[in-house]
Amino acid sequence: MSDDAKHEANIFYADNRFERMARRPGAVAREQALEHAQSKIEELKSDFIDWLDREMQELSTALAQLESQSTDMSSIERAYTSCAHLRDVGATMGFELVTFIANNLCEILDAMKAGAVYDKEAIDCHMDALLLAKTEPYRHLSPAQVPEMTSGLRRVGEIVSIVPADDNK
Amino acid sequence: MKNPTVNLRDLVILVADPNAYARRITNGMLRGFGANKVLEVEQTLSLFQVLTSQKIDILLCDTRLPPHGGLMLTRTIRRNTNNENRTIPILLMSSDTGETTIKNARDAGANMVVAKPMSPSSLYDRLSWIAFNPRPFIDTATYFGPDRRFKIEGYPGGVGRRKGDKLVEVAEEVGPGLAQNDIDNLFSAARKGQPDV
Repeated sequence: MSDDAKHEANIFYADNRFERMARRPGAVAREQALEHAQSKIEELKSDFIDWLDREMQELSTALAQLESQSTDMSSIERAYTSCAHLRDVGATMGFELVTFIANNLCEILDAMKAGAVYDKEAIDCHMDALLLAKTEPYRHLSPAQVPEMTSGLRRVGEIVSIVPADDNK
Repeated sequence: MKNPTVNLRDLVILVADPNAYARRITNGMLRGFGANKVLEVEQTLSLFQVLTSQKIDILLCDTRLPPHGGLMLTRTIRRNTNNENRTIPILLMSSDTGETTIKNARDAGANMVVAKPMSPSSLYDRLSWIAFNPRPFIDTATYFGPDRRFKIEGYPGGVGRRKGDKLVEVAEEVGPGLAQNDIDNLFSAARKGQPDV
């Protein structure tokens, strides 16, 4: 094969059933579709607190394990996965603060994967914040409504996420 | 285009997400939009079992799908020449929507990325964008996937624009500023490399 032939791009339109079918007439209006979707989410809210309790318990167990194996990548990954679960659904279910705190904790765990040192106080402080964010007075607040908490957690995250320089490099 | 509606009835939609609760939410949203054939998988192996056993119309995949993640999975689907689902639209769901992730998703062959946590409107508008803005496929030695040269000027429903964006007021059109002959002369001069006419 010549170089020209190798680099030549074949450009084509693939027959795409999604595009064809999704454009059919007869769909409900966007606003109505969004309302329906929102009511499906409302239906799920009845067991969200139970799920949140279970997931926080799982996170707490994973973080406790991390305390004794702070450099073990699989322990960090287990805690990260659990934390990411909370982050990924919190705001959709109306728990914006849960998403914010879990996201901050995910960033700390990410930094640990890169070599940052385990900091028990920082981890405990995020776990406490998550427990607080789940309680009735806080669950429907946005991060902007609790600026002291959010800026404090951000600052903690920044400090403990510093990855020490590798002297061998 | 003003708020095009998306008809998801009878389309086979596959949701791949390791988080069972997130799958329920996505499934619920899709059914709220009118979808009636939503399948769920929690990891790559099950996903390939579904892909090899039936035709899928669109894949919604989390970037953290075990074991290797949604980006690797997208690349594998696009590169497998024997896979009849090779050209399905792939919408990646990710909590990390940094520039690097978006670029990697695009280079892997994903059609679009939606940020997690998702809202019904963010999901709906991306589905709508994929349906109403078809892109050609590019097949080269190093890439197979939708044309990466595209620009989103704003989602049809308006999501994606900043809150602070203001309408630009322009004066009413009173007629062409240049006569057609002048325009033709300008283009002709530009083609000949004489911009100053």
